[in-house]
Amino acid sequence: MIYVPSTVPHIFSAMYIPAIYTGLIIGFFSLIAISMQKRDIHVLVLTDVVGFAMLIVVAGVGTDLAESFILPGLVVELAEVLAISEILISREMRKISADNPSASFNPMPMKYDMEILTTAPNFLSLLLIAYGVFLTGFTGGAIAGGGILLYILSRKARGLPVFVINGVSGVSGIGWCMWIIAFWIFFVAPQYWLLCLFLAACGLLLKVATKMGLIGVLMREEYGKD
Amino acid sequence: MSLASLGGNLLGIVPLGDIVFYLNPLHLFLFVAILIFTFLIAISHTETQVEAEFGTLGDKKQSVGLKEFKARRFLSVICGIATAGAMITGDLYNFTLFMSLVGILNIGIISSVKQIGVLDSVFQYGLIAMMCSLPLFGGAAIVLGACGTVSLLAIQSMKPTAMMIFGAIMLFIGVCGESGIAPFFASKAEMFRTPGSPFLLIVHLSSLFIIIRAIEIVLIICT
Repeated sequence: MIYVPSTVPHIFSAMYIPAIYTGLIIGFFSLIAISMQKRDIHVLVLTDVVGFAMLIVVAGVGTDLAESFILPGLVVELAEVLAISEILISREMRKISADNPSASFNPMPMKYDMEILTTAPNFLSLLLIAYGVFLTGFTGGAIAGGGILLYILSRKARGLPVFVINGVSGVSGIGWCMWIIAFWIFFVAPQYWLLCLFLAACGLLLKVATKMGLIGVLMREEYGKD
Repeated sequence: MSLASLGGNLLGIVPLGDIVFYLNPLHLFLFVAILIFTFLIAISHTETQVEAEFGTLGDKKQSVGLKEFKARRFLSVICGIATAGAMITGDLYNFTLFMSLVGILNIGIISSVKQIGVLDSVFQYGLIAMMCSLPLFGGAAIVLGACGTVSLLAIQSMKPTAMMIFGAIMLFIGVCGESGIAPFFASKAEMFRTPGSPFLLIVHLSSLFIIIRAIEIVLIICT
């Protein structure tokens, strides 16, 4: 009782069993490595390897339902890695402050000594944003967001108030609304599909590009300091 | 084994596209029971701990701030709702997602106690929960690959093959790791007398209910 459509080449369907074996073997070896490790951070990184083995096992099935297993699996892995590393950090902070109550946990000021950050950040970020707008959609949003990130990291935006950055992130919510409205119109009035397509693509571009928390910029005090 | 011999007579089927709910007495009982417990936890307050200080006659009160209390209550209520969803669902895919949600929420609930010992144990629990996402999602994917569907209503009429049984066993290992072991880590660190204790009870309740449901699902797939 195997439901493999005849359009799928035999070599793809034959990869299923090797993929499962690969995933299970990688998971097993990672578990052995975890049992030998002593430092917590190494254990955390090796545990992430087990998560990748999970992705291999799920991806071996290769249908659209399997893809819908991969997305939550990946998100759950990321969320758990973030949560556990936060727990690790706060535990270590508590341990250190129990020994030495005057220890300071202020973030270090960021010091970059790269020539590219002083010579051409304007041009590069403009190029990235223009290319991202040309691409539109999720990929374009990530590229344009990279351009904004580069502009913030360079010295050009030093002292930009946190309030402004939060406001830029608020645009992300409007982009999300555009995306939802586009999908709603798409179901209600399919004859305006071109409008919906552009509305969704531009909304997603705005959302991803301005969502700076997503691309790794957390506004802390280190911006604007030296 | 048929659905009727595991959970009682089928009371009805709710076809929502490709997600088909089926209602039987066992699921309804578990669903209503966990919702009642969730309601009780939602209206409860955190415990204020009074510690006698050593060497003096003074007492020290350890209470929880309003913001932290709200965060914990939110996590507990969401955990209860996720458990209720895992009780009523008739779909292996939804069950897997609810399981991973319960795993993350358990990490959040336990880690809200800010003591070094508790943070140590929740770190270990989180590692195990992450490792067990391999058997959880992998087992569900193997069942999907072997059956071509994740609807339990469709799986129960199929004859079990070796891959289906292997996938079901992996799924059960995953469920044990995501939620089944949580009470051991929760009770390990004197947590039931820490400030904010009643919210930790949802960890126990959810693992109790989910293990029952997981055994039922494994029996549906394997027999």
